[in-house]
Amino acid sequence: MKVILTKEALVAALGVVANVVSNRSPLPILGNALIKAEDGKLTIATTDLAIGVRAVMPAEVVEAGATTLPAKRFFSIIRELPAPEVTLTVDDKHSATIESGSAYYKIMGMPQEEFPPFPRLDGTRAFSLKQAQLKDMLRRTAYAISTEESRYVLNGVLLSFKENQLTVVATDGRRLAMVQEPLEFPEESAIDVILPTAAVNELQRVLKGDEPVGISIGQNQIAFDLGHIYMFSKLVDGNYPEYRRVIPAAATGRIVLERELLLSAVRRVALLANEKSLSVKLSFGNNNLEISANTPDIGEAKETLTISYTDRAFAIAFNPDYLMDPLKNLDGDQVFFDFTNEYEPGVLKYNRPFTYVIMPMRATPSGAK
Amino acid sequence: MRKIIHLDMDCFYAAVEMRERPELAGLPIAVGGGSKRGVICTCNYKARQYGVRSAMPGFMARQRCPDLVFLPVRFDLYRATSQVIRAIFHQYTPLVEPLSLDEAYLDVTDAGRYAWDIAREIRARILSETQLTASAGIAPNKMLAKIASDWRKPNGQFAVLPEQVHAFMAALPVRKIWGVGPKSAERFAARGINTCGDLQKLTLPEMAAQFGKWGEELYHLCRGEDNRAVRPHRIRKSLSTENTFFDNLTTLAECQEAIDKLGREVLDDLRAKVPERRIRNAYVTVKFSDFTRTTRQCVCTTPTLEIWRTLLAEAWQRKPLPVRLLGTGVQFADDDSDEDDDHDSAQERQAELFAADEA
Repeated sequence: MKVILTKEALVAALGVVANVVSNRSPLPILGNALIKAEDGKLTIATTDLAIGVRAVMPAEVVEAGATTLPAKRFFSIIRELPAPEVTLTVDDKHSATIESGSAYYKIMGMPQEEFPPFPRLDGTRAFSLKQAQLKDMLRRTAYAISTEESRYVLNGVLLSFKENQLTVVATDGRRLAMVQEPLEFPEESAIDVILPTAAVNELQRVLKGDEPVGISIGQNQIAFDLGHIYMFSKLVDGNYPEYRRVIPAAATGRIVLERELLLSAVRRVALLANEKSLSVKLSFGNNNLEISANTPDIGEAKETLTISYTDRAFAIAFNPDYLMDPLKNLDGDQVFFDFTNEYEPGVLKYNRPFTYVIMPMRATPSGAK
Repeated sequence: MRKIIHLDMDCFYAAVEMRERPELAGLPIAVGGGSKRGVICTCNYKARQYGVRSAMPGFMARQRCPDLVFLPVRFDLYRATSQVIRAIFHQYTPLVEPLSLDEAYLDVTDAGRYAWDIAREIRARILSETQLTASAGIAPNKMLAKIASDWRKPNGQFAVLPEQVHAFMAALPVRKIWGVGPKSAERFAARGINTCGDLQKLTLPEMAAQFGKWGEELYHLCRGEDNRAVRPHRIRKSLSTENTFFDNLTTLAECQEAIDKLGREVLDDLRAKVPERRIRNAYVTVKFSDFTRTTRQCVCTTPTLEIWRTLLAEAWQRKPLPVRLLGTGVQFADDDSDEDDDHDSAQERQAELFAADEA
């Protein structure tokens, strides 16, 4: 095999596939990247069996062929190459030569036959939407994914294709983010799947622009086709909790807040949030909102925002991170905060289809469970 | 390359009883299982000829062998005998890992003699000091040694030499691998996999893809590869007690009474045996009349009867069925991890969106 291509194209492709390499796997082949040259294209693929990514780039194929090379080493070599053009030659013993300008490398590969083939999704459901749209939906929800491994059904986002809508939901059991966008597909394709966190992260990295992303869902697997990039992932096996039940049907009050102002105020006050209970208090009074935090023996912080509010005064406490996460990831200047009382979940919305439910901190007598 | 001996007493409890009561010679006997719903702990070879097996409910054993003599379990007696046996083991190596009263792994790599001879000598000494027979398996690792001790049972020994491992494994039924139960064996058989040799044809990616983490382990086990060391001091991870009731309990009040009794036992044991250990959580196990089992646990550093009672009330509600067995216990915190053990003192608690069993 022999190909000539630009360093730039190669570096870009490596950026796409590099994260999926598994170095601690008992299977040495999973530490390698599949490299394949044919029909004027070079394909690079990596997989850890749970996820696989493949990137295709144009190349001058002098001699078609394939091999696998130790991924991390190959990638670090490519990044450092001195010239804009790279020549990659692989002999039939899988010994690879990389030449660029004055640099010359020789590294040993392994036969491509050992590289696990990407699954074929037969009899699949297919969907298509703009890459930027999916990326945006993930960005507005993914921060709420649970990182607790014991709650494995929450270790990912729910993708719910139903009633000509795509609903994306993420929750860690204490707050929940949901976005909904119209999407056309045949009704018999309706399905709920849980996309694991690792795939969500990789996907967010590669989605870009108005080009479509094709989504195929098969038995326990999902694939995303971005044209020059193809990614598959296992799905989380399990049932997502009944998330609609925890979204309050109606709130008794609504407050309009400037997103940036609220975010920076919470961020400042949170510096003195109790390290153990991690909470900031929002006290709603006559046309003002006081955000406060205190830690016994350390100190306290307080900040007041002017709002439009004349109803009953009350205070509610939240984990400041749970407040800040959506504020950081939304666009839009204003957010709406819906509430009922100090015990019921608060709901954050803004002028696009988005719902964020956040459970308050509740005062408990000392030592109680 | 290690040299491991797995020593396994032959029908231990039954053998001890036969030694204590010579008048039982020649009769089929079972230890345990004599009460209305107990299960058999051990039975002698005579009883096994009738199809009686350990863990079999007493009534079933009686159907198969009407003359079966049921004897009550006398743990103190078995424990005393077990101590004699362990003392013998320790004269050959400090690396003794007891698995129960009647079996242990010995690492004799550095004993400077043939493991075969050591095993034979240990078995002879056990016989002369306790009048009981034992079987031994000798192999380069724990898994193979344990399989081998079963090969010439009773009162025999069998060695798998390093150069024989390959042929031995190729012919070994998959069912013999630790962790492959009847269900998995059935599933393997459906795919034409009967021996470890058949299983060896699957590649590591295939195994990992089909069986996950367990697949990786299986890949090595079916090749006779097992790197686990003999660990003389296994750290206790939990402490518990349970009871199967003579008559099923039908009311919560009955269960609570029983759980208090079990809870007191655990508290006494904690004080007596491991007062220094930090506790991570407390749990309650309930087995219903349909034999399904459920467990309810909570984070807890100082268990009380009250806590177990609360857990019981939640577990009890899960099925509208009479209760056959109850258990209480605690799990210990890892001593080397420094968990924040006073996070309970916080004045505020994060509320949850979902009920505990929902997500």
